[in-house]
Amino acid sequence: MRVSENTNYILDNCRFCWMCRHVCPIGNATGQERNTARARALAVSMVSRGAEKLENVVDNLYECSLCGACTNNCMTGFDPKEFVQTVKTQAVLEGCIPPYIADLLKKYAETGNVYGAKADGSLSPLFGKKSGTLFLAGQDALYCAPGCVKEALDLLSRAGVEAALDEKACDTGAAMWFLTGKTEETRAAAEACAKILNGYRTVVVYDPADLKLLLHEYKEWGIGVHAEIVGFNAFLLGLIRGKKLGVKKGKNVYTVQDNYAYARDLDDTETVRSLVECAGENREMLLFGKEANLAGHLVMRTYMPEVQRAVALKRWENANNMECRTVVTENPAEYVLLKETCPEGSRVISVEEMLLENL
Amino acid sequence: MNDFLFTQVLTELEDAIGRENCSTKEIDRVTHSVDYFWLSRMWADRGRRMPEADFVVSPKDAQEVSKVLKIANYYKIPVTTWGGGGGTQGGAIPVAGGIVLDTKRMDKIYDVNTDSMYVECGAGAIYKHVEWAANEKGCTTMHYPSSLTCSTVGGFLAHRGIGVVSTKYGKIDDMALKLEVVLPNGDIIETSPAPKHAAGPDLNQIFIGSEGTLGIITKAQMRIYEQPESRKFRGFLFKDMHSAFLAAKEVLQKFKPSVMRLFDEAETVSLIKKIVGVQKPGAFMTLAYEGPKELVEVEEKIVLSVFGKYGAEDLGSEYGEKWWKEKITFFYPGHMLDIPQMFGTMDTIAPYDKIEKIYWAMKKAIETQFEHVKFIAHFSHWYEWGCMVYDRFIVEKEFVPEDPAEAMRLHNRIWSVGVRAALENGGVVNDHHGVGLKLGRLMKEQYGPAMQVFEGLKKSLDPNGIMNPFKLGL
Ligand SMILES: Cc1cc2nc3c(=O)[nH]c(=O)nc-3n(C[C@H](O)[C@H](O)[C@H](O)COP(=O)(O)OP(=O)(O)OC[C@H]3O[C@@H](n4cnc5c(N)ncnc54)[C@H](O)[C@@H]3O)c2cc1C
Ligand code: SF4
Ligand code: SF4
Repeated sequence: MRVSENTNYILDNCRFCWMCRHVCPIGNATGQERNTARARALAVSMVSRGAEKLENVVDNLYECSLCGACTNNCMTGFDPKEFVQTVKTQAVLEGCIPPYIADLLKKYAETGNVYGAKADGSLSPLFGKKSGTLFLAGQDALYCAPGCVKEALDLLSRAGVEAALDEKACDTGAAMWFLTGKTEETRAAAEACAKILNGYRTVVVYDPADLKLLLHEYKEWGIGVHAEIVGFNAFLLGLIRGKKLGVKKGKNVYTVQDNYAYARDLDDTETVRSLVECAGENREMLLFGKEANLAGHLVMRTYMPEVQRAVALKRWENANNMECRTVVTENPAEYVLLKETCPEGSRVISVEEMLLENL
Repeated sequence: MNDFLFTQVLTELEDAIGRENCSTKEIDRVTHSVDYFWLSRMWADRGRRMPEADFVVSPKDAQEVSKVLKIANYYKIPVTTWGGGGGTQGGAIPVAGGIVLDTKRMDKIYDVNTDSMYVECGAGAIYKHVEWAANEKGCTTMHYPSSLTCSTVGGFLAHRGIGVVSTKYGKIDDMALKLEVVLPNGDIIETSPAPKHAAGPDLNQIFIGSEGTLGIITKAQMRIYEQPESRKFRGFLFKDMHSAFLAAKEVLQKFKPSVMRLFDEAETVSLIKKIVGVQKPGAFMTLAYEGPKELVEVEEKIVLSVFGKYGAEDLGSEYGEKWWKEKITFFYPGHMLDIPQMFGTMDTIAPYDKIEKIYWAMKKAIETQFEHVKFIAHFSHWYEWGCMVYDRFIVEKEFVPEDPAEAMRLHNRIWSVGVRAALENGGVVNDHHGVGLKLGRLMKEQYGPAMQVFEGLKKSLDPNGIMNPFKLGL
């Protein structure tokens, strides 16, 4: 296996370091030693040394959600995500990706999305609207949480924004990036997406995973997007502050499930809290803000559903310990997984649901 | 084990605890073969595979542990318990193959009991998670080792671990109220309902420190404490270690600071200068006292007056605060000691009338018997009667043999020389990292005929010798 010097440097530092294991949502949910940054690094470093075969340990790379809790926790600034992604690309090149990942790639090739799904029929009337503003729902929302898409568009419409919805634009390359790293396929998806986005003046990005890709990776890969890119939360806050959306502050207590991409990659933990403050009171649970703990990942759910349930249940434990009964999500994956595991007496609502119930 | 029997055992394990909780995959075997022991890390660094388990199992509770142990006993298969793998003595390495039993699925927090001030939790809980649970109720565990985020409740108990505020709050063995243990034959037992009693010897203390050789701890009640209203730091520079010892002993007859760390002159110059920024020669001591504000103020007065008597230079609170903030930074890669250097921590403990002698004897033994081996130390974890010395040896990479077997020989020789120097002068094999594979050979040298008590326990509880073979000298 040939990886860059920098990747080997991270591997060699993480492989004998135990310090960030306690924040790994997958490690905490499974209790498995292999679900730690150090174990992953150790296994791959053994491949680098010719003492292990990549195909024997490759599955382990796909057990990492890339949530970056380890990176955030690391006092020396190492980023295990870097080697996870580099080695995934290497696995693609060496033809040794696990069969369940190959299946997802096949589905993607056939249908344009890794879920092999078609957009929900109820969304049909929403496609084809002409507007200078595109609502980029993202593939997770489009194929796994169509209700969220409808509500988000409904909320925008109440503020007088009739945004367009485009199925093709939903593929920012995020799924391919997650599965294969920086491959030709990921780049092709990103370029195709950028072309569509450039047909609009403003793009409101619903899923922070897409937003992060557009703002970070696209830049790094030299893919230009001229349209104005705005995160959904920030767009909503703008509408409220511009008095286009009248939200009444109620008595409800909400708890934010910070999404890792917003909190860590985009360094934005405040916008969602400002939205919550418009609608009610905010109560924090353990691991909030930059320390955000993952509550679920939809692509991973396709090949490790039980683990994703366990991840979400762990998050409910955090919420319940602080008597946080209404959890507000800011991305479709965590919304879906928290909803599926919601204990009696608690509820999960998306940001748009929260605002809709306080108009 | 032949393929046929291997598959038979695997199916029985799967039947006992579920297929998804039994693994024979490379990834699980490899990651459970390298712990925090320098030798296992060095071996892997040189691209060599460590001894691996045949099966890695993750039971969820005592009942499942019991089933695994019954199977293991029937087939006479070794069982090595693995908590966080953060141990430094090779205790969790499955040197004899067989089963690695990972405890981390036993991580449930059953109760944060603020009436009686304890947390009841699974022994596989990472201690930081126990701390979080206590914090959620406004309390704290007061167990703050540098590996708080790395290691488990069971692992700390098994190695008699220690945190930085132990001088006031005690070691892990002082913090356990009650344990649930699965014996090698699969019986599930509970220790006494209260830790202090006159109902015979202390069952807790038989299993605490037994390193998975006598049974597997599956649940524990661990003490929690109120968050201190005030915690104050103060740094002092003594002209030499001896005056620092006299001053510290005198303070400890009056009250217990939470932190008390005295760095020898070599460590003051190297580590402390680099990280905390102290520029002067001497022996640096950092202290913290904590609790209700009024008491803390009185304690500070006592320290200033006693330390003043011994000529300590008051460095104010800045150094102590800085150390507190940076105390775990030392343990991240690139900050302290790391492969390819060779290093080890030979912590030992003794009464005040011996501890200084031990320090000098160990230093002399290491520095005179080995060329290019550096020796530094600090003294932390103090009692009214004595204290612990945390001494380290360091061999820079250019002096570490290329050949891993040669490197192992040098490593083991240094350890034997250092620990023997401690033993000959009234110290013990180890203070808080345990014995494991690393120091098993020296246990008989410390205990002499007393070792038969441990051997007797081992023989009667584990007649087939399946529990963590080659560890603890048993
Ligand atoms: C960065 C770092 C810093 C450290 N700093 C400190 C420190 O400040 N203070 C300190 O005391 N130690 C420290 N250590 C050492 C380590 O944290 C302790 O030795 C700890 O006790 C190991 O616990 P573990 O869960 O990692 O156990 P493991 O390494 O998995 O196992 C250690 C031993 O305990 C046995 N064992 C584990 N769980 C059980 C159980 N449930 N029942 C019976 N036996 C069991 C194993 O078989 C093995 O023999 C540090 C380690 C690291 C990596
Ligand atoms: S990311 Fe940092 S804390 Fe985590 S294993 Fe790597 S070096 Fe250690
Ligand atoms: S990125 Fe997230 S899932 Fe991956 S190792 Fe780090 S903490 Fe775990």
